[in-house]
Amino acid sequence: MSMPVSPEKQSTLSTVDILSQGMVINVGPQHPSTHGVLRLILTLDGEQILHCEPVIGYLHRGLEKMMERRPYRHNVPFTDRLDYLAALSNNLGICQCIERLGGVEVPERAQYIRVLLMELQRIASHLVFLGTFGTDLGATTMFLYAFRERELVLDLLEECTGARLTYNWIRVGGVPDDLPEGFGEKVLGFVKTFRQRLEEYDQLLTRNRIFRSRTQGIGILPKELALAYGTSGPVIRASGMAYDVRKAAPYEVYDRVEFDVPVHEQGDVWARYLVRMEEMRQSIRIIEQVLRDIPDGPVQTKLPKVFKPPAGIAYSRIESPRGELSFMMVSDGSPNPLRVHIRAPSFVNLSVLPSLLEGTKVADLVAILGSIDVVLGEIDR
Amino acid sequence: MRTRQPATEQYNPLAVFIEGLSTLFYGMLVTWRNFWRPKVTVRYPYQRKPMPPRYRGLFYLKWNEEKQRLNCVGCTLCAQACPTDVISMVKLGKGTNAGVSEFTMDLGRCLFCNLCVEACPFDAIYMGPAYELASERRDAALFRIADLAQGGEEAVRTNIETVQRLMAEEEKARPAAGGHAG
Repeated sequence: MSMPVSPEKQSTLSTVDILSQGMVINVGPQHPSTHGVLRLILTLDGEQILHCEPVIGYLHRGLEKMMERRPYRHNVPFTDRLDYLAALSNNLGICQCIERLGGVEVPERAQYIRVLLMELQRIASHLVFLGTFGTDLGATTMFLYAFRERELVLDLLEECTGARLTYNWIRVGGVPDDLPEGFGEKVLGFVKTFRQRLEEYDQLLTRNRIFRSRTQGIGILPKELALAYGTSGPVIRASGMAYDVRKAAPYEVYDRVEFDVPVHEQGDVWARYLVRMEEMRQSIRIIEQVLRDIPDGPVQTKLPKVFKPPAGIAYSRIESPRGELSFMMVSDGSPNPLRVHIRAPSFVNLSVLPSLLEGTKVADLVAILGSIDVVLGEIDR
Repeated sequence: MRTRQPATEQYNPLAVFIEGLSTLFYGMLVTWRNFWRPKVTVRYPYQRKPMPPRYRGLFYLKWNEEKQRLNCVGCTLCAQACPTDVISMVKLGKGTNAGVSEFTMDLGRCLFCNLCVEACPFDAIYMGPAYELASERRDAALFRIADLAQGGEEAVRTNIETVQRLMAEEEKARPAAGGHAG
């Protein structure tokens, strides 16, 4: 409490305008709420964030350059290390690009398997978001529950692919092996449990008053700004833009399955959370349809031992759990690509962070950053 | 956009408090329900989950009981398929009955991507269920043929003997079959 000031004194006080220069603090690169090695240089005025400058590159491995020095198909396992929470999406992205470059056909069954794995991967990835986002906002229980269910997805993926994180189970021209025996029933069993658990998440978190107060109206990203920055995925869908690559430019068999694209108008942290929750439900719908419609047949196209696509440029885009992931490859007819470019959705989504953080409180930083759901492996490449 | 939007309706702290408390208990119901669910935790070092058959763990070179040798013929297809140059080998003999005397994998570089297994046309290299490969020493990541072969040291010795015998037999058979080939 400050002392009461007389009107005369107050007028003299106001002429001395003490400008706060702002206190500069560092968040990261080692910080639990940055979900990786992200450094944020914050300029604060009290509790208000005046300016935020993200510093990236702590995980830079020169992946695009590495890819230029290796044959096309050797590059697929490297993409596991991009977005390590959704390794299969990256595998699909690069394989699609190489397939377009070389004009490789993918058998129908392989396409269905790809979609099935993609949606399981999306659920696993969104569950990590849900868990870490809950922990960021103080709901540690959510973390335990979300990771418990993620374990079920990982067990399924492990049974199919043989790995738990870096799957590398999509090949140029299909998938390396068919689904294991009885995989469909196990997935349906998981889906049944998971649908019920989603209700519990809603009960625990979505309806929680504290959680809502900490997310509603925070970090509002207007549609124009989201478009101007080129954001994609749940970030832009939460800002009222119904943009989903699965609908806009269907790949694999996404044009044959029915699903809705959840859109919210508010553009705040809460909307981004809701979009991801709804996306998990839609993924369940897709999984059920895929398991119903999956045809029999081969899962891989035979390719020559030395794969030399004709000279040209290929571009592929897919909807990874974080947004639009695209690969561009330039071929000069040799076994190695001439140039590879990766458009990482997290990188683009992160670029919107400084304008989101301007004027907010420090306490909301973790909520806003968590809601964008960045993966640093993908940003730094 | 920059700051918290002002609440449109009349802000009533008591109503918010009561609502908050009720949702808190509502959420506690979930915790309570989960309290009675079976535990999902595995007490890891004492209790282990079985690995699925496709699990990609430590490599092994398949032992062929019938032929008394390793299936590997030293064709280096796996080494060529490897994106990170993990595999190096020394070929023993030549022709269809060739084998390997050395087969070294530097798993410190390995991506466990399965590409070498898929490249092998002789069913020689596989990935097994062993996963505890971490070590404090860097050289512990270097796996030599005796560490990788099914049957270990003994199998490697028998493998070399068998391949050498096969080579000698081929050598003996060659002048007889080829006639006066010089």
